[in-house]
Amino acid sequence: MWASKLQDILLGVGFGLVTAAIIALSTVALSLQYSVTNIPNFAHGELMTIGAYAALVAQRGTHFIPLQALAAALAGGFFAWAMNFFILEPFTRRGARNLVLFILTLAVSLILQNGVLFVFGGNDIGYNLPSSSPMDIGPFIFTGQDLAIIGSAVAIMLAVHLMLRRTKLGKAQRAIADSRELARVTGIDADRVVRLTWLIDGLIAGFAGFTLGASVGSLSPTVGNAFLLVIFAAAIVGGVGRIYGAMAGALLIGLAMEVSALYLAADYKVVAAFVLLIITLLLRPEGLFVTKRVVVR
Amino acid sequence: MIDYIVSTLTIGIIWTIFAYGLNVSWGWTGQLDLAPFMFIAVGAYTYLVLVGGPAPANAGPSVHWILGLHLPFVLGLLGAMVVAGACALLLGGVALRRLRDDYFAITTVVTTLTVYAFIAQFTPLFDGYTGVYAVERPFETALNLPAEAYQALFMVACLVVLGIVYLVMQAIFRSPYGRLLRAVREDETAATAFGRNVYRVKLQAYVVGACTAGLGGAMFGAFLQAFNPYAWNVAETFLIYAAIFVGGSGNIRGVLLGSFFITVFVQELTRLLVPMILPGSPDAAAALRYMIVGLLIVGVLWWRPQGLLPEPQDRDTVLGLARGAGAGADPPR
Repeated sequence: MWASKLQDILLGVGFGLVTAAIIALSTVALSLQYSVTNIPNFAHGELMTIGAYAALVAQRGTHFIPLQALAAALAGGFFAWAMNFFILEPFTRRGARNLVLFILTLAVSLILQNGVLFVFGGNDIGYNLPSSSPMDIGPFIFTGQDLAIIGSAVAIMLAVHLMLRRTKLGKAQRAIADSRELARVTGIDADRVVRLTWLIDGLIAGFAGFTLGASVGSLSPTVGNAFLLVIFAAAIVGGVGRIYGAMAGALLIGLAMEVSALYLAADYKVVAAFVLLIITLLLRPEGLFVTKRVVVR
Repeated sequence: MIDYIVSTLTIGIIWTIFAYGLNVSWGWTGQLDLAPFMFIAVGAYTYLVLVGGPAPANAGPSVHWILGLHLPFVLGLLGAMVVAGACALLLGGVALRRLRDDYFAITTVVTTLTVYAFIAQFTPLFDGYTGVYAVERPFETALNLPAEAYQALFMVACLVVLGIVYLVMQAIFRSPYGRLLRAVREDETAATAFGRNVYRVKLQAYVVGACTAGLGGAMFGAFLQAFNPYAWNVAETFLIYAAIFVGGSGNIRGVLLGSFFITVFVQELTRLLVPMILPGSPDAAAALRYMIVGLLIVGVLWWRPQGLLPEPQDRDTVLGLARGAGAGADPPR
């Protein structure tokens, strides 16, 4: 009896690793953007949705999967860049309060989600990639697609980490995350760095949308939005702006969701993530894995 | 046709009560609350289980909800306000104490979804996804009116409730307490420096807003005669926000105007016109409505952030003094 229970949990962990990889990708993007711009982007889910639908549209033209992934990333990147360039940046220049920028992202989320609904309709549309047979790896069962998702997630997160630590852009991003005014005083072109950050955020979120669509197998206009608060939970649990924290947060949240699904109704899956989020906000708003206490603005 | 107009106006009136609730927490105190629909739903459920009876006997053993007390109408409204207020006290008491405003907003929306999942899954409470239903409208058998006349009378009842809420809101706005709320919104540090407990003021405003939303929810439940998880979702919160932005945050008449503009004009226009222009796409009306609402929010915030009717500025009531000369008055802008 115990053996079969353990088997169930390990299977849940296996599912959890794929979910966690997708959440982690999206969380790294959100966490980077949130820390640099200090705007909680509630349209982040829609960037994923748009990425997934872009991959679907690309599939009609080509069966070469990397091209579909590229289409997803480019679409996400474009919309994130455009949202900042045409809406958030003009409002920021005018000195809009942070809460107003937050509300603008909510409005953009409403526009994009319903734009997708308007164009593609509300019914689920199948998005199927050629399947591969499942393999046993240790106690887990993975398909080739699962491994590709986990692998690309790790590679992209590594790239983001290297960008933040080794490049001039990353240095500027970290400076702006600490204080935009001080960064500007030292001669950093903050607007340009912020634009690039949104572009990178959108590229990764769009790609994450592609992996989400591929792993779910069907798309609806709320496919990304359904994960929005889970991603926020992962970002905040891991500590906003901390790439390793985002990965650890996503892993924790993804596993909590999948393991809770073994025992509780599906509706409670996201609740597991939310409970972790609320506990983190109340007890350690700077994130669970942050050892140095930072001042939370 | 008259039926349609009466029911549309009734919904407009009820939504205005919702908007007044949100106007206290967002419009006056400046808290980005994404949980108004939780308070509305709690109000509706509470009203239905207080005023209605237990689940009908012929519905089978799986249909079940709590209470079913057959209480009088007014007690149902009061109960809805009390329970919604208590929820706000609990949520606000924890979330307002230590969270900065974007974390507060995230916490409220996450709490709403958690409560949603709980109500949907824990069937003994409000019968899960099936929900509470078959609750008679107030005084329907006692009055024994024809259906149209009763509908019109119910609309008048909603209007009376709205009128009371309006007068209360006006009294709050004009009172020193209303000024305190706006002071907290404009500058928490200054309010603290003048010896105010900002946390307590915010919490009070949050509870008052939730009670108002709960009252609106009770009227909504009375109107629908039933309530279940399909009757509410977080996206509708933005309709209320759009109403407040368009009409004018903090202005009581503005909120009334904005609420009717969004819930009656935009809602019904898209519902009626879009199927005519685009037959055969069932989602187009809802999609266009929310896109318009999103564009309206962005457009209003850019071109007219104060809304159609801006919030009235405080004036010094001491005669003979120049504006801004009174102690603690707003400096001239």
